[in-house]
Amino acid sequence: MFKARKQEGIELHGDIWKHIQPGEVVLEARGITKRYPGGVLANDHIDFKIRAGEIHAILGENGAGKTTLMSILFGLLQPDEGEIYVRGLPVRFRSPEDAIKMGIGMVHQHRKLVPAHTVMENILLGHPRSRGVIDVKTAEEEVVAIAERYGFKIDPRARVWQLTEGEKQVVEIVKALYRGAKILILDEPTSALTPVETERLLESIETMTQDALGVVPFITHKLPMVLAISDEVTILRRGRVVDRLPTAEATEQILAERMVGRPVIFTLQKPPHEPGQPVLQVEGLSARNNKGVLALKNVSFTVREGEILGIAGVAGNGQHELAETLFGLRPAESGRVQFLGQDVTHAPILDRWKMGMGYTPAERTEVGSIGDFSLVENVAMNYYFDERYNRAGFLDYGGLRQLTEQIIEEFDVATPGPDVKIQTLSGGNLQKVIMGRVLSREPKLVIANLPAQGLDVGATEFVQRKLLEARARDAAVILISEDLDEILALSDWIAPMYEGEIVKLLPAAAAKKEVVGAMIAGVYKENEP
Amino acid sequence: MSLAGYRIRVQRRASVPGWKAALFSVLAILFGLILFSLIFIQAKQNPLEVYRQIFRYAFFNEYGLGLTINRFIFLAFASYAFIIPFRAGLWNIGMPGQLYLGALAAFGVVYAFGGKSGQVSIASGPLIVLMVVAAMVAGALVGGIAGFLRGKWNVNEIVVTMMLNFILFYLVSFMIKDGGPFMNLGGRGESFELPDAARAPLIAGYPYTLVLVFLFMIALQVLFARMSLGYQIRAFGQSPPAARYAGIKPFRISVLVFLLGGALAGLAGYHYFAAVPGVYKIARTYGYFGDLSFYGLICGLISLGNPIAALFMALLFGGLSIGGRYAQGKLHLGFGVDFALMGVLMISLVAFQFFYHYQITFSRVPKSRALAD
Repeated sequence: MFKARKQEGIELHGDIWKHIQPGEVVLEARGITKRYPGGVLANDHIDFKIRAGEIHAILGENGAGKTTLMSILFGLLQPDEGEIYVRGLPVRFRSPEDAIKMGIGMVHQHRKLVPAHTVMENILLGHPRSRGVIDVKTAEEEVVAIAERYGFKIDPRARVWQLTEGEKQVVEIVKALYRGAKILILDEPTSALTPVETERLLESIETMTQDALGVVPFITHKLPMVLAISDEVTILRRGRVVDRLPTAEATEQILAERMVGRPVIFTLQKPPHEPGQPVLQVEGLSARNNKGVLALKNVSFTVREGEILGIAGVAGNGQHELAETLFGLRPAESGRVQFLGQDVTHAPILDRWKMGMGYTPAERTEVGSIGDFSLVENVAMNYYFDERYNRAGFLDYGGLRQLTEQIIEEFDVATPGPDVKIQTLSGGNLQKVIMGRVLSREPKLVIANLPAQGLDVGATEFVQRKLLEARARDAAVILISEDLDEILALSDWIAPMYEGEIVKLLPAAAAKKEVVGAMIAGVYKENEP
Repeated sequence: MSLAGYRIRVQRRASVPGWKAALFSVLAILFGLILFSLIFIQAKQNPLEVYRQIFRYAFFNEYGLGLTINRFIFLAFASYAFIIPFRAGLWNIGMPGQLYLGALAAFGVVYAFGGKSGQVSIASGPLIVLMVVAAMVAGALVGGIAGFLRGKWNVNEIVVTMMLNFILFYLVSFMIKDGGPFMNLGGRGESFELPDAARAPLIAGYPYTLVLVFLFMIALQVLFARMSLGYQIRAFGQSPPAARYAGIKPFRISVLVFLLGGALAGLAGYHYFAAVPGVYKIARTYGYFGDLSFYGLICGLISLGNPIAALFMALLFGGLSIGGRYAQGKLHLGFGVDFALMGVLMISLVAFQFFYHYQITFSRVPKSRALAD
């Protein structure tokens, strides 16, 4: 009880941030250790310091302990051992509220905004001042002033659901700043942004450091971004700090090696491959999103054997609806889908699996797998109907177990065995099981929805190689990705999507990143060079 | 939370092994029994003596054991009626309605062969088979309504099954009370008695439905552990979106599990009114058995849908309902003590499910740390 009172007593927030000298240590973590039930050591004596005016990137693969560390710094989790100091003052965060009071702000990767509310309402939601009467007009002016200070454009009265991912990110940042955040923790800040938006965000972050603020971006795999913005990098692997170096001394190669613990190949070999017969022909396909709004508008394309079609676009521009409509998870409003010459526009999903279509969903935990099921049972999701494993209604679990062991082997899945629940696997390993399960059917068409999103360098490389292997054995592949580099590296054809339409089908050989980037941002003009 | 230098924390656990789950159930039962002793102490009875009476009568007295087994069979069918939809993530709380119509259908078959007069125009064997089939089909149809509505238009199955219970309760009333076609000529507000040919055969003094319970236990075990259909039901129960993605048809699963569940509830109705020695009629107090069938739901829930574990629970609650009533009469305890005891045990078992998902850990707070705070 004594503790709680003292915490409240620290309304030092205003005082503690006075007279800051550039270069002085504003936040320090010493010996942070966190052990999860089951004995997983997520953070093992992590030390790190952030100085005023510094951008200090924390780099690490999935499972390296980034999320845990971030949650501890923001008061979402309590460390088992270790201390946190804000300007030399020992603090203990029992909840995010404590962290916010001490001037720490966090911008989450999965945006935590209320879609139906306006930007202003979201910013005020949960703000300490919103408990009394708020002068909305003044508050609005303050918010706009903060935004302008850092070069953000913001419309306080817009509804959040109307915003792009990039705009939502800006709202989150402004929200944190409006609450007086002096140290900003950014979780994967550019993962959902277009190149143009990323550029703008990086400029704003630069401006912030001029105000003696500390910025701590947590990043999984966008190494060029680390190099572009940070002053210092701390690299985590398996819960430990493996290296800390000034960014000036780092290269992509060094960072990747330290992070993964082995050399990484950056350029994928995409051998030339002669496309064959058409596999999937789509004509004038339209579909509605979950709100009933037409989100996919009159899309047409053809994918042939041994060809990868890359669907590029920022989240929410109809790619997701396209993938679901192609696989029958979403009804087509109009148009036609032909698979190997057969009309499958309204075919049941089970028939599609049997005909040789395969889909790896973006929602790996909700749709692509069943957390409480073992690996074997998850593999059975694509085989329970297959005559090789279903004899007169009885499943051949022994055979499925063997198949699962093959997938584990071939896809290099890190797991104690095929009988553990799949929810114990890390994101990368889960995706490997899902990909392995779908590809083991040797489908003639693979629809891969955000196959590498959120994966670390090693797993990304692996998944991409597997898609190229599918292409090499003459499968047609539709790759949906928000990462332009990935699209450019893998595709034979590129279909940039904006507001539910394919802007223009481009042969990958002739596609320039800037052009595709302009197309998915909706600023492409046909006549301009 | 800190207490006397110890930090107490509640942590989510990833999974709980079967033996631990069983241990928690045993502990929950002990806890419930100890808690309920307070009632006996308040009634100036020695709790140990009361429990001895209850368990001795329920499980070690020849007459009491017979009654317990009859209840056990009934609860086993009722819990299977709950478990099958439950494994698909759907809640069947319509066992009463399903068993009412099951019983009516079984009696309807006898009625159709002129059985109301005490004679039937059909041999005993085929008649009994027809009665069982009719009871299961009738139960399945009642269940199927909920499954169909759920699968087709996503209508909440809890509401539908619940409301059907009321409708069918009064349908039974209409059929057996004054002026109803199944009315007992003695006018006692119950149905006609089954002729000898329609009475279920006994095996070693117990209704043959006992054998059916074990057959269904094996069938369900095989269904869920080995068969493609069982796999699809479980997958749908764990995650409907994932099941849909895998090509499993939600409508088909919803209808199927409710047809199967309803059929088993129908069988429960058949059992109690046409197979239990000394009953052989739809009793005036048929509503009591509708209520009792909810203990099948509890058995299914506590055993986490495991058909074998559910039988242990069914035996326990079957025994307690018999032993509790006996002890109440013998020791002149208050009215309803038997149901109160079952209720307390049920709540205790449900509360102990907390430990399936969480564990409590104690750790010493280091001295230096305590000071730093």
